[in-house]
Amino acid sequence: MATILLVEDDELVRDMLAQMLQRASHHVLQATNGDEAIDVLKIAHPDIMVTDIIMPKKSGITLISEVRNKHPDMEIIAISGGGRLDPTGYLDLSESIGAAVSFEKPVDKAALLMAIDLLLQGKSETTSQS
Amino acid sequence: MDPQSQPKLTKLNQELKYRLRHWLPGIFALAGILLSIIIWSFLIQNEYVHQRFVTSLKSALPWIVLVAGIAIALLGGIGIRLLQLMHERSATLARIDQNYKNEIVERMRAEDTKQKLEIALLQGQKLQAIGTLAGGIAHDFNNILYAIIGYVEMARDDVAEDSLIHKNLGKVLEASKRGQDLVSRILAFGRRHIHHEYQPLHLKTITESVFALLKPTIPASVSIDIIGMTDDYLIVGDQTQLHQVFVNIVNNAVDAMDGEGDIKIIVSRILANDPFLNQFPDIDNKNYYRIDIMDTGHGMDQHTMERIFEPFFTTKEVGKGTGLGLSTVHAIMQDHQGGITVTSQLGHGTTFTLLLPEYQSALNPEEKEHGYHTVSGR
Repeated sequence: MATILLVEDDELVRDMLAQMLQRASHHVLQATNGDEAIDVLKIAHPDIMVTDIIMPKKSGITLISEVRNKHPDMEIIAISGGGRLDPTGYLDLSESIGAAVSFEKPVDKAALLMAIDLLLQGKSETTSQS
Repeated sequence: MDPQSQPKLTKLNQELKYRLRHWLPGIFALAGILLSIIIWSFLIQNEYVHQRFVTSLKSALPWIVLVAGIAIALLGGIGIRLLQLMHERSATLARIDQNYKNEIVERMRAEDTKQKLEIALLQGQKLQAIGTLAGGIAHDFNNILYAIIGYVEMARDDVAEDSLIHKNLGKVLEASKRGQDLVSRILAFGRRHIHHEYQPLHLKTITESVFALLKPTIPASVSIDIIGMTDDYLIVGDQTQLHQVFVNIVNNAVDAMDGEGDIKIIVSRILANDPFLNQFPDIDNKNYYRIDIMDTGHGMDQHTMERIFEPFFTTKEVGKGTGLGLSTVHAIMQDHQGGITVTSQLGHGTTFTLLLPEYQSALNPEEKEHGYHTVSGR
């Protein structure tokens, strides 16, 4: 079980993903945009942040670049439908600035949960080594 | 008659006319003098004529002859000059008239071309706007479908696998995934210009590989002939996209012929100054390849033709066509700096005309011999 910060502006998608993660026994914190996520990160220390890229107020790209250095222990997963542009462009960019893995929407449920498990596994190995 | 002797005869004819015009006053004068002599001879030999009149006439004769000669000469000269002026004036008027006629025809042609260009430009802008709009809608719709799929998957996990609810939720998933497929097509239409490798290609290779691909799916009762294709026709483009263009048009042709008929593909090279290019907007001053794909199908009416490249416009039955095929083809042709037009008549088949720019370096024999470098597209 891990604490996951889910950042997604679309309420339907956010609620669905939250339920999916909760069903996989994760504790889910929610934010509707980058600004809200920054506020959540002031009081909480999630293991993983799953963030959408195209969002109002503060985009996922800005959010990743701002939190990457402040929260080096937190793994980041980027998801995007790409808006009017090809999502691979945004997703490549998100990985280059600090996301561990990225997915194009619609994200395959099994792939997302597996990625979370692998990242958590990697974190625990790093922690036990140190 | 020897055709070369024709100009010589014409020149001789003109020379004769010129000389006659200048000699006529003299001829008239001579004729006047001769006539006077004849009258004079008649008068002196006629015994019934009063002797006194003859005497006075005799004394006045030199003057009469002189005056008559001068009068005839003058009148003849003036008349001829007037005829000459009239002729010249008529020729000038005819020339002006012809010039006006030519100008009117030219203006009408220019107006027609302008009108065609405006329509094509408007059509292009409309397609671009629809593409942008469709891309935006598709993105939001993608999110909605993603939510539906996610919820349905979770709901399915909560019910027994052999239950009717599980089965029905499976149908919802199936329908949603079909929707997702459609969305990905729309998004692909909006994003078509991204991530495409443009490189020099042999037009012949493209058509050959397309027809090898299509052959198993085309009924034997449909014949396909390619006319005018040569090995040295080179273009710059994305092979996959160009395959999509040919496959789409040929499949539409096969559908329009109800599985029976002839498809002719006529390829030709169009030089930069060819007036044929005037009907295409955004055309550069370069050589192009023209590819006419003609079918003997049922054709289409004017209204259908005007909307044929619009996204989501289809004449096929519900579920058989997305209405994105030809709009994508249109977009691909624009991305390739080419063009596409359609001509059709109900009951008389349809012709799609594709225009692709010639690869400029094709004229460089060294490069032609040693292969080509990859170039990036727009």
